[in-house]
Amino acid sequence: MIRFENVGLRYGLGQEVLRDVSFHLLPGSFHFLTGPSGAGKTSLLRLLFLSLKPSRGMAYMFGKNITKSSSGQRAELRRRIGIVFQDFRLLDHMTTWENVALPLRVHGKRQSEYAEDVTELLKWVGLGDRMFAYPPVLSGGEKQRAAIARAVIGKPELLLADEPTGNVDPQMARRLLRLFIELNRLGTSVIIATHDYQLMTQFTAPRLMLENGRLNIHG
Amino acid sequence: MQPQQPTPRRPRAKAPIVPPASVTGRSLGIVIGIMVFLASLTAGAVYIINQSAAAWLRDVSSEVTVQVKPEGRVEDVEKTATAVAKFLTGQNGVRRASLLTLDQSAELVEPWLGQIAAIKELPLPRLVAVQVDRDNPPDVTTLRAALTTKFPTAELDDHRAWQSQIRRVTGSLAAAGLAIIALVATATVAIVVSAARSAISSNRDIVEVLNFVGAEERFIARQFELHFLKLGIKAGIIGAAAAGLVFFLMPTITEFMSGAAVHAEYRRLVGTGRLDMMGYVCLLIVVVLIAGICQLTSRYGVRRILDAQNQ
Repeated sequence: MIRFENVGLRYGLGQEVLRDVSFHLLPGSFHFLTGPSGAGKTSLLRLLFLSLKPSRGMAYMFGKNITKSSSGQRAELRRRIGIVFQDFRLLDHMTTWENVALPLRVHGKRQSEYAEDVTELLKWVGLGDRMFAYPPVLSGGEKQRAAIARAVIGKPELLLADEPTGNVDPQMARRLLRLFIELNRLGTSVIIATHDYQLMTQFTAPRLMLENGRLNIHG
Repeated sequence: MQPQQPTPRRPRAKAPIVPPASVTGRSLGIVIGIMVFLASLTAGAVYIINQSAAAWLRDVSSEVTVQVKPEGRVEDVEKTATAVAKFLTGQNGVRRASLLTLDQSAELVEPWLGQIAAIKELPLPRLVAVQVDRDNPPDVTTLRAALTTKFPTAELDDHRAWQSQIRRVTGSLAAAGLAIIALVATATVAIVVSAARSAISSNRDIVEVLNFVGAEERFIARQFELHFLKLGIKAGIIGAAAAGLVFFLMPTITEFMSGAAVHAEYRRLVGTGRLDMMGYVCLLIVVVLIAGICQLTSRYGVRRILDAQNQ
């Protein structure tokens, strides 16, 4: 599903932040992406999310060569990817329900087609009684669950999470991890970027370890 | 930070993706309204000046003057002047020829000589005011030749020198007006672009979210374009309406500020100061242009954000 071969990434004329990164991820896989601060986790995630193009090497996602993709093709590929951020990135002027429904709305679907799915998903992540609340009144855990719901409402094949437990307490972090595991069980490939080693010990999964821009796979 | 909103109990049919009311949006609306008001005032003033100038020229070119020199006895001059007026009345292209009375002739020189009793005793030339048919004007050269042949002491003045002076003055006024419009337009564009960019930047998070949920660039840009177009139109209409109200109340304003005598002089020069239908169309054009600038600025602002995100 995702294949990187000797991918390098450089910002402007500076040093490479990613060097000779090679890996092959199969559909339905679960990985942790880890490494010290400044190792290049966010840069790799941005590549996976098609926000950046590799400076060198070959990168394929869903069978498409992303080094040669147009902006329209990238938008199309992004619809197969869900992304969760540490700072949630919910839109404060929209309710939780409207935030979760947003991907389907921008994809051109009618509200009558997706209303039931959105409601069911919110109940599944435990936000059934907070559907019409606005993000500013939600707790950190509730916001992150809403962000996860938004990321998966379009049934993406790949779910990327950048430090998803960074702003929640340990108990909520465990709960969120269980959510990711459940999503993976249902068929979504998951990559969680984190430096929370305690989180990684709670679930056995291969680790993509970045150090000085180089990637090693453990497990 | 968005203003407090009541909690709905069910999904809204079309929740706005770009929040309709925000601090930056309100600020931009105020800026647009003020700049459209100023631009409309300028455009309206230039329009009125141009219209007045055209009216002046029409008036001046619709009349010629024949001067009968005061040579010989007063009775002979009077007789000649009466004959000139009668001769001109029968000419092609002449609607009316009226001989100014002695009192009227004296009034014309009063600004220079003052109101003196002996003014009528002075050898003043007699003037015949000739109104020409604008649709079928006479050939001035032929008329002048016929007049001079029949009445050697009569001289025809077609006001050409005066017309060219008016054209120079009105041309300068129009050029100055256009220069002022250009300056106001440039300032308006610069301020609107700056305010729109600031408003777009404050909505950067919305652009980012739309980008990463897979919205196409066209879709994202359209959300902001529609939002800023509506904002530009709404604020622009308010600004233009305020300017239109100023023009509508202009006669009252000038009379209140300057007194009856100055107001009368002002009216003589530029009319009532009110706009006609075409004048209000000019204000509408200003609104359309500014709204268009808002839309284009938002489009390019969004593209820049997306380009920065998707390197």
